[in-house]
Parts: sequence; C-alpha cells; structure tokens
Amino acid sequence: MEKIQDALTRIVGAENVCGDPKVLSEYSQDKSFAPGLPPRCAVRVHNAGEVGAVVKWANETRTPLVSVSSQAPHYKGDTAPGVPEAVIVDLSGMKKILSINRKYRMAVIEPGVTYGELLKALAGEGLTLSVPLATRAGKSVVASVLETEPRLNALHQWCDLDPLRCVEVTWGDGNRMFTGEAGGSVMDLEQQWKEDKWQWEPAGPMMLDFYRLLTGAQGTMGIVTWASVRCEIMPQAHKAYIVPARKLEDLVDFAYNVLRLRFSDEFFIMNNTQMAYLMADKAGEVDGLKEQLPPWMAVVGIAGREILPEERVAAQEADISEIAQNCGLKMPEAVGGISAEAVLRKAARPGGDASWKEIYKGAFQDIFFSTTLDQTPKFIQAMGSLSSQEGYPVCDVGVYLQPENMGASYHCSFTLPYRADCASETGKTRELFVKASMMFSRMGAYYFRPYGIWSRLQLNKDAQGYQVLQRLKGIFDPNGIMNPGKLCNY
Amino acid sequence: MALSREIYQAFEAVVGARNISEDIGICESYRAIPCQTSDHRGPFKQKTPLPQAVILPGSTKEVQGIVRLCNKYGIQFKASTTFWSVMGYIGSDYSVQLDMRRMRRIEIDPKNMYAVVEPYAIGAVVQAEAMKYGLNINIPGVGCSSSVAASTAGWVGFGPQTIFMGAATENMLAAEWVLPDGEVLRTGSLGAGSGWFCGDGPGPSTRAILRAKQGTAGSMGICTRVAVRLHPWPGPAYIPSRGMAPAYKANLPDNFKAYTLCFPSWDAYAEGLNLLHQAEILYLGHRQFTMFGRDIKTAMIKILNDPDGQLSDLEGYVNDPELKKANEDMKIDIQVIIAGMTPRDTEYKEKALDRVLEMVGGWKSEFMMDPEIKDWVLMYLLRMGHKNLNYVMCGGYEGNFGLSGNVFVSSSVMEEASALKKKWEDEHDYIAQVGGDSDMGSITIMGGGGSTGWEFFTHFDSYEKESVEGTAEFFNATQEWMNQKKLGLDMGKWNQSARRPDGYYFSQEEQDEMFSKLAQPLVAYYQYRVREAFNPNNLCGSYYRTLSKV
Repeated sequence: MEKIQDALTRIVGAENVCGDPKVLSEYSQDKSFAPGLPPRCAVRVHNAGEVGAVVKWANETRTPLVSVSSQAPHYKGDTAPGVPEAVIVDLSGMKKILSINRKYRMAVIEPGVTYGELLKALAGEGLTLSVPLATRAGKSVVASVLETEPRLNALHQWCDLDPLRCVEVTWGDGNRMFTGEAGGSVMDLEQQWKEDKWQWEPAGPMMLDFYRLLTGAQGTMGIVTWASVRCEIMPQAHKAYIVPARKLEDLVDFAYNVLRLRFSDEFFIMNNTQMAYLMADKAGEVDGLKEQLPPWMAVVGIAGREILPEERVAAQEADISEIAQNCGLKMPEAVGGISAEAVLRKAARPGGDASWKEIYKGAFQDIFFSTTLDQTPKFIQAMGSLSSQEGYPVCDVGVYLQPENMGASYHCSFTLPYRADCASETGKTRELFVKASMMFSRMGAYYFRPYGIWSRLQLNKDAQGYQVLQRLKGIFDPNGIMNPGKLCNY
Repeated sequence: MALSREIYQAFEAVVGARNISEDIGICESYRAIPCQTSDHRGPFKQKTPLPQAVILPGSTKEVQGIVRLCNKYGIQFKASTTFWSVMGYIGSDYSVQLDMRRMRRIEIDPKNMYAVVEPYAIGAVVQAEAMKYGLNINIPGVGCSSSVAASTAGWVGFGPQTIFMGAATENMLAAEWVLPDGEVLRTGSLGAGSGWFCGDGPGPSTRAILRAKQGTAGSMGICTRVAVRLHPWPGPAYIPSRGMAPAYKANLPDNFKAYTLCFPSWDAYAEGLNLLHQAEILYLGHRQFTMFGRDIKTAMIKILNDPDGQLSDLEGYVNDPELKKANEDMKIDIQVIIAGMTPRDTEYKEKALDRVLEMVGGWKSEFMMDPEIKDWVLMYLLRMGHKNLNYVMCGGYEGNFGLSGNVFVSSSVMEEASALKKKWEDEHDYIAQVGGDSDMGSITIMGGGGSTGWEFFTHFDSYEKESVEGTAEFFNATQEWMNQKKLGLDMGKWNQSARRPDGYYFSQEEQDEMFSKLAQPLVAYYQYRVREAFNPNNLCGSYYRTLSKV
C-alpha cells in the first residue's frame, strides 16, 4: 500500500491520494443492485498529463483503474470496482470550461464540469444544451454524453451519440490523442482555435471512428479529459403542453405523427406514476398526484430561438394541437393540477444531489433499454404482468419513454422504487429487476447501454460482435487495466 | 498470375457459373482511369490493374464464401456497386473484383422511418420507394444513380439535403458486414436480434471499425445490408413532372419553394449560412449551379431548361445582357429548398427565410424564380439525377481547393481562390474558362448545420493529354496556395494517399513514409492495429490508411 501511495503521490501530490477506508467505501458501492468492491485507493487528477502518468504506472504495475467524473451518488454500477485492488481515478476536480463559442454553438469542457455549471455558463452566452430528464446536479456532462444518456430533444440528435463531438482520450495503453475533427490537426486546442477549428465534427478523423469506442464503454477503453459538445441557441420563446391519454397506444400514434413532421423540441411520454415521482416534492405527495393525473401523458415543448421565435411556437402549437385532435386527444397547458411548464422546468434542469426517483421510497432501481415505439406497449404490458406475479405493486412502476436519434428508437425505462431499509422489499425488487431484465431480453429489448447484468444478457446474444469488441479492447487496453469486470470483462 | 483452375472453380461453386467471369473483355471493363476521383492523375499514365476474375455474389452467404476463399488463397478483393470512381476498383494484380449488382433488395419500415438496403439499391429507386410512404432519403452529391449502401457505408455521403436529413454517417443505423477475415458482423440492435433501428452499441460500438468521417471504400470487408434512416417527404407519392428530357420540371405543390439566395458580400454569405444552420427551416441547401462557372451559370441554366438547348448556344447566352445581369445578381449565391410540413409550417419557414435575408442584406434571385426554372431546380436538387451535367462542359471534371469546412474561413478566401483559378483559365487553355469561381457544395456536411463542404469544379477534357496534365499542374498550384493559407489538402489530391499514380495500392513502407508525418500519427497507427486484427492477410488494399509504428 505504501508503495502504491508513494508512486501515485509522485504523480498527483500527497493531498490528492486518498487511502482513507471511510472515503474509499463510498467508491466501493453505488445505489444499484450491481456488486462492487472496495478500491485500493483513490487519486484526484487535474489534467491529462497526470492521467497519462497514472495510466502508464497502472500498466507497469497491472493495476486496475476505475475512472469517476460525476459526484456521488451513483446509480448504474459502472463506477463501483468490479475487481479487487483497483485505483479510483477521480476526475471530478477537472472543472474547466475550456471554451464556449456562440457562433459555432460549441463548448469544450473537462470531465468534472456538471450540468448545472455548464448550463449556467452557456446561458451567459445565449446558449443551452439538450439534457437528460431531470439530471442530478452533480452529474458530469462528459460522463453523461459518453454514457449516451437520452436527451429530451431527440430531434436535435442527428445520431445516437449527439451532442458529443470530439474528445481528448488517454487510451488504456497510455497513448493520448484527440478524436474526430480535432484528431486531424495539431494536438493543441489553443492552436486549433487560432485556426478557427472548433472541434465540430465527431467522426474519425479518418476511417476508424475512435469516439464510438468510448461511448457506452463504461470507462473500459480509456479516460477522456475533455469533450466538445454541440449546444443550442437559448430559446427566446418556449411553451409546454401535456397531452393526456387513457392508454399508451393513443400516444404512440400521436408521437409518431409529431416527430415524423419534425415538430416539437422536448418530447417524452410518461405514465402517471413516473410523472408523480418527477413532480412530487416529498413522498407524501406522490399518491395524491398519481390520483389526479391521467394514466399516460406526452410532454411537448416547443421552442422559438433566434429567428421569429414567437411565430415558430405559434405555428407548431397549432399544428401539433391538430395532430392531437386527429388522434382524439387534447393538448392543454396543465393537467391534473400540474402545469406543463412546471414539468418542463423540472425535466430540463438539474435537480438535487440525489435522484428524484428516490423521493417516494428512498431507493429505486431502473430497467432501461432501446426499442422502437410500436414495440413499447408489449414491454409495458409484460412488466405489469410480471410485477403482479412477483408481488410488486404495479401501480408503483414508473414508465418513461424518450425518443432517441430523431425518433428512430426509444429509450424505454421502468422505475421500481423500494425501501432499502426493508430487506424483504429490497429482495423482492431485486428479484423483479433480474427477472424483468431477462424477460425483456427474451422479448427483444436492446440493452444499448448494458450496465451490470444486462451486459451478459446482451453480449451473449451476439458472439461475433463480442469477439470484435474483445479484439478492440486488446488493441486499446492490452493489459486490461481499464475498469475490468465490466461489460463481461471483455 | 491467373487464377488456377482449382481456385476459379472454388469461386464458381459459391456463385454459380453464370456469376463469375475471367473473360478478358469483361475483366478489362472493370479497370478505371485514376482521374476524377479526388486524385487527379490522368488517364494517359495508367489504369487500375486487370482483375483476375469478376464475381457477382447474390447473397451475404455468397459474399462470405468468396471472402473466405480469398483468405484461403491469398487473393485480394474489392467489392463495388455503381463504380462511381476509381476507389471502387482493385489495386493489385492478384485480385478479384466483386460486382454487387445482384444484391439490390429494399425493405422499408415506414413507421420507424428506415430502409434496409442491399448494395446495389440505388438512390433513385430507394427514394421512389420511400416517397410512397411519405418519406425521403439523403441522396449525397454523387447523385441518385449511385448506390445508397456505398455512400452510407463506404464513402463520405453528404449532400444538398444533409441540412435536413444529416449525412451518411448519421443516417447509418444497423449494418450487416462481411469482415475481411470472412466473419459476419451485425452491428448494434441487429446483432442482438432486436431489429435494424440502432447501429451503435451495445456498449462501445463495433461500427467504429466500419466507417467514420469517411468510409473505407471497400478496404474493411463488404457491407451486405445496411439500414438507412429516412426522413419526411411532405409531397406526393412520386415527383410529378412535365417537359421533355433533359429539361424535366417538377410539378410539386405550393409547400415546396426553391430559391436562389444572393448575398452582397462573402461575409454576409457566411453569416447568412450560419443563420440558416440555426434556423432549422431548410429542406435542402446547396451551391449547385456555380459549378458551371460564375460567368456562364445563367447561360447554362437557360440551355439546360430547353430540351433543344445545345452547348453551341452558350456564346449567345453568355453575351445576353439580361443573363449577364442575372449572373452579377447571383455572384455570391446558394440554392435552397423549403418544404413545409403543413401550410402554417410553410408560412413560418418562408417568413423566417426572409428574416434571415433581411438580417444579412441578402435577396432572392428573380431570374431563378421564373416558374419554369424554379420547377427545374426542384427536380434537379430533390432528385439529384443530373449528375451527367458534371461532365457536360468538357467531358471531365475534378473538384479542387476544398477550402475549409468552416464557412467563415472558406468564404474569406473565396475571391482569392477564384482569382487564382481565373488566372489559370485565362493563361492556359486546358481548363475551361468559366469566370474563376466555380465553387459548389453543401450548406453543411452534418445534420443541423456546422461544417460545410465545398469544391471548385475544374472542367477539363479527359480525352486530351494536355488538358489532363495541365489540370494536374493547376492542382499543384492550388495545393501550393492552400499550403500558404494553411488550408490543408487540396481536394484534387485528397485520395493521393490511397493509391499510387500507377493505379496500384501503396505498400506498407510507402504508407509509413506518408502517415508518420500526420499531425497525430496515432490515428493511422491505430488503424494499422485494427487492420491487423480484422484483415490479417491484408486483402483489401490501402484505402484503409495505416502506419505500422509510431
């Protein structure tokens, strides 16, 4: 232990090396059902040079590294060490916003920058960023885009990986490079900016798409020390509506028709349970809210930006309202005592330190995957049946459907709240989680972001794809030091 | 080295005797001259090598069988579809050419808005099928007679509609791919048996090895099926037309508007384009007709709108004062199309377009608003079926300059680049004299705007040695100018690192020499490692740029 601390101290300084068991225990386990192990120690790094030196040392000593950028708590199991003796590489102190460019709608940020920090800085420049649903205050933007978290505005996602563009990465073998457009020029951001290059184009820079090896990788390929993200012009006019429905199938047609015409900005679907979890300020409000709300709701945001903002909102408001009418639906600004504006405000802004899904019972487990919208009713029906069969209250299952990649696919998410201090409830939820995950896999769910047990369920379905991943892992992390134990330890 | 009977018969057993040939006449037709390929070398020096055989597979299984045999016998291979340019042809003597024309099936999922296409499904057919469902496809600059799979999976794939639809790399969903070692990879949701809707993941994307900013031009195996995202088409189930060939005009409803936007300066142009990127109102944006040249574009438009028009009419039109005036009006211009999804949407987009013009002092060309011309433009740009016109001036063309994707940078040097080209036009007779500026290209190369894609069309006679070689000299001069301006590689030399002047692939030693000089050589080094992992017998040539050591 002494030797490890000495070596790491030489790289990052004693004040940035932590061996305190109490602190380390916080890294060892997150709030998911995924198992974790205590790390050997944790180092706080502050620049790419330190990251490179730590990775070099880890290769020499064959030490597992687990990179963490977001502030605790964590919920998906990807940052809890999967093997013993790991060193946590804590990037949360890398908090520089390196550049914001209004003209090109680009920002370059370090991994410790949170949504709250970035959105505030962007607002100062008249920009914003499409965000995941009510993200945590301490969530790293870089981690979020690398995890390909779904965004509220799928129509600004030109591929599954938007708004991520270029990155600086130190691969598992210790080599550092820029990806995308930034990889085609001198490895110096300042110099690139002088040449009016703003890390726009994500792919390549040649025929190997480096950034696609990092997205969804759960830190198993390399460590990203900056990323560029595509921003949006801050809306000057912004309205929100809720389209209530008795059954999901009515909203399915509505959603297809709206997104097909490229109408709306924010767009998502929830059942009343999930909406109650989102909007309640305390646990006691949840049941009452649920009662007041319709069974299903589509939330529709319409934004007008620089060019004739009010006119854009008015035109789309009328057109989407007509689509709703044609589907036998209405599009009010409030329903069941909650206003669409309040929903959007909560959905599109970072919340507290912990997830809002904890509010009802103190703990929760999500199950999520990608599918097409027309497939979602069958998954929801199956989840209802299984919950009932397993003795989990069906009325507690929150459902959230978020279009991704211009609506080509949908993030289908189930939230299962439980009381962590109740062993039987925890056990029952864990069992439901496992059984439901397996059931969905059999039904054709695509675990696009395969955390925890989903990685085995998903990767085992495609031997050839898994072998390709193994060969790639062998190239970029030949000693297998980057977050081993994740993604089937490929 | 001819294929032995054993090997030929092995290939024949895979595809059947009707679908393989070593007939010299047939094989000879699968050779190309390495010019007009972003790699201007001229036809008088060399052709690509003669293939040992031409093979036409009809299924993924047959493709896999061929690739396995190539690995067994150490034979290089290259698959191509519509053979747009030299990058589709082999580059070594002991090679077979795969012609994918038997694989042309199309399946459309209208609800989830994607098409699954085989390699020989061309843009025109996929578009026609998609329109039946109120959908459309991004047809890149290569035009509608080219393969959708080739541009989506194999090359760059941006075009006039990229502003609304995204580029090929963005539209590519799941794919089925025979890797160079003969294994079949199914990316994203397809590998999981969940359908074609997602090309990424699970976890890190295996798709990373198949294409990035540009595809691999057949140097990382063979794409056998790919899902391509489709986009809304707010028009009829086909494009109704009137007129006579080649001057067909589209009879589209009023929600389709075609304009040529004109700007008082290049600064205003750059600012205007940036605003159009942000405004989300365009269905299409392309600087198209300046490809004929600043001084003659309106004359060419007149000729092309007349079914009896001839190039011999050019002189008369060029001297027509009205057309001269229109040319001057359209000196700094771009063509755009608005396609309103509803009457309100059309009205809003029209107003927003006018507002953008007002903000930068721009205007709409009156000449281009003539209903006959407007409807011809709609047909031209929505269909992208006029690719033959690239060649109409002199029989050959090549894009050069390329400039920068950043429109603020490229527009700031546009006049200087035009002046350089004009000087060469005036002083030499081997490139067409069109007024210098022949810059054309897409308002963006990425969905929603951002980087742009430009090239100057240089028209030359591809059957006259002096013209071909003189054009090469001109490109040397423009590259020198690009170097001085720190603008990177001239587009006329873009592919010079992929194939030697004699039409053959580069050796690894030659590639090492080139790519060790990259600003970030690790890019080509990792590509080498990936090639070694997935193409251990190095059977697919040097379009996959590699550096063996750093």
